Amino acid sequence: MTATAPAVTPAAVRPRGGRWQRHAPAALLLAPLMAFMLIFYLIPIGQMVGESLTYWSGDAVEDKATPTLYQYEKTLESSRATGSIVRTFRISLLSVAICFLLSYPIALWLLFAGRKLRTGVLLVVFISLASSLIVRNYGWLVVLADGGPVNNLLIALGLTEFPLRLTYSEGAIITALVHYGMPFMILPIYGSLLRIPSSFWEASQSLGATSMRTLWRVILPLSMPGVFGGTMLVFAVSMSAFVTPLMLGSPSTAMVSQVAAEQLLVQLNFAWGSAIMTTLTVVTLAIVVLYALAVRKVFRVDV
Amino acid sequence: MSERSPFRIALAALAWASMAFLVFPVILTAVVSLNDSFFIEFPPKAFSFRWYENIAAIHRIGEATLISLTIAVAAAALATVLALGAALAIARHPFPAKPAITAFLLSPVTLPMVAIGIALVQFFIAIDAAFTWWSLAAGHVVLVIAYPVRTLVASLTLSDTSLEDAARSLGASRWTAFRTVTLPQLKPGMVSGFLFAFLISFDNYPISVFLVRGDLTTMPIEVFNYISNNFDPTPAAFSTVYILVISVVIAAAEYRYRIMSLSIPRS
Repeated sequence: MTATAPAVTPAAVRPRGGRWQRHAPAALLLAPLMAFMLIFYLIPIGQMVGESLTYWSGDAVEDKATPTLYQYEKTLESSRATGSIVRTFRISLLSVAICFLLSYPIALWLLFAGRKLRTGVLLVVFISLASSLIVRNYGWLVVLADGGPVNNLLIALGLTEFPLRLTYSEGAIITALVHYGMPFMILPIYGSLLRIPSSFWEASQSLGATSMRTLWRVILPLSMPGVFGGTMLVFAVSMSAFVTPLMLGSPSTAMVSQVAAEQLLVQLNFAWGSAIMTTLTVVTLAIVVLYALAVRKVFRVDV
Repeated sequence: MSERSPFRIALAALAWASMAFLVFPVILTAVVSLNDSFFIEFPPKAFSFRWYENIAAIHRIGEATLISLTIAVAAAALATVLALGAALAIARHPFPAKPAITAFLLSPVTLPMVAIGIALVQFFIAIDAAFTWWSLAAGHVVLVIAYPVRTLVASLTLSDTSLEDAARSLGASRWTAFRTVTLPQLKPGMVSGFLFAFLISFDNYPISVFLVRGDLTTMPIEVFNYISNNFDPTPAAFSTVYILVISVVIAAAEYRYRIMSLSIPRS
């Protein structure tokens, strides 16, 4: 700021009025969106949680007056529900790990690439981010098909005599989730790498560190905010995966969203479907919060 | 670190391999879409455009695409307008609980989509507005809101407030200064926010599947149903057209508005 005051004082530095007067512009600007989100987001989610606390079991008399944990007990007792929660967690962890290993090199490489190459690679990343999930999953159905390239390669190499059934499996789901998550992983990591001054590389190297050691001891810790953002997003997206397991999985690889959607769309059991979905949301958010706290403690970065 | 160091060579090799993984399915789909065979086979044997002609055979694909287009335009436009106000408040004004409110507006991205779908269908049934174009559009605004909020906060943070102050000191009214100085600076943020909101809405399956019924359907739902019930390569032809259109749109938007740099989160 310069010492000379501007001819017109901006709203932020006007003499203090009442609390309302000071925050009036912000309140007015925020009001339309907040009202919309209250009606179409917060209230419906609240109602869903309320619905999950009702006693309804298809043949019993409805009793919505007293909240009950009946639906949650049912979730814990159902091996299909608990099994899908465990499976969803396992698939998500594997997807995040593989996605990170594939994405970090791309983000780091973008840092050293020339302008033309960087624009080209970023365009490919953005196009895959913007292209349809159904289209991309279909691509994996083609790649992993019985007569597809992977099977034909395996046969040509003599590794198998007959085509393997690669689709409709957990492996196919993880492959597609990794593919879906890559843009979400690459962009925040690249963004945080951009903020690291190039002098840090030079300083580390001139002090005798190898490139690998520089990456491990300097660059990786400093890019942690981006790593956290990317891994958190890919984890959340994988935990709530629905279309991907529908297209590339089978009934025996059902993930949580599928089990809940079945209850709603097929059984018309809104209460139990809501309880399963509320459980998934709470579990996912709890893991993300714990993860954020762990990253803060270990790397001492603000995420 | 030199261009030719083992580290750089290894890094480039890893990155190229990962990029191959990213584009492999797309290229394969295009190859299969041009193959005459009814079954998915690789390598292809005979060239044919017949699967492209067969796109029209996808049940109600025309109507569904039209509904998807109107929903995506409406949801993206409303989300961008609502997000502009919120982003101005977040970027330019101090107010209590700012981080919490910002997190709340970005939260639909991290919440399971099926949860949003289930919550919305019950809500719309309760207020007797379920399975209408309007309720589907409202649901899609919730789905896409985070994108314009994020890009507009980013471009407001980058924009120069002193220009607006200069306009005001030269006698422009608050509104005129905003309209003629600030708004043009926000154009890239608005374009990229609108574009991503549009594309996310146009492609959504998990929320729409709960909010449609009868005549109300969307493009992803019809394509998904076709893939579930048929094994011919028609969806490959459809996918190839889709990717080509998206590529042109993204490349044009980048060339004209530099949308990519705004959409890279810099935390």
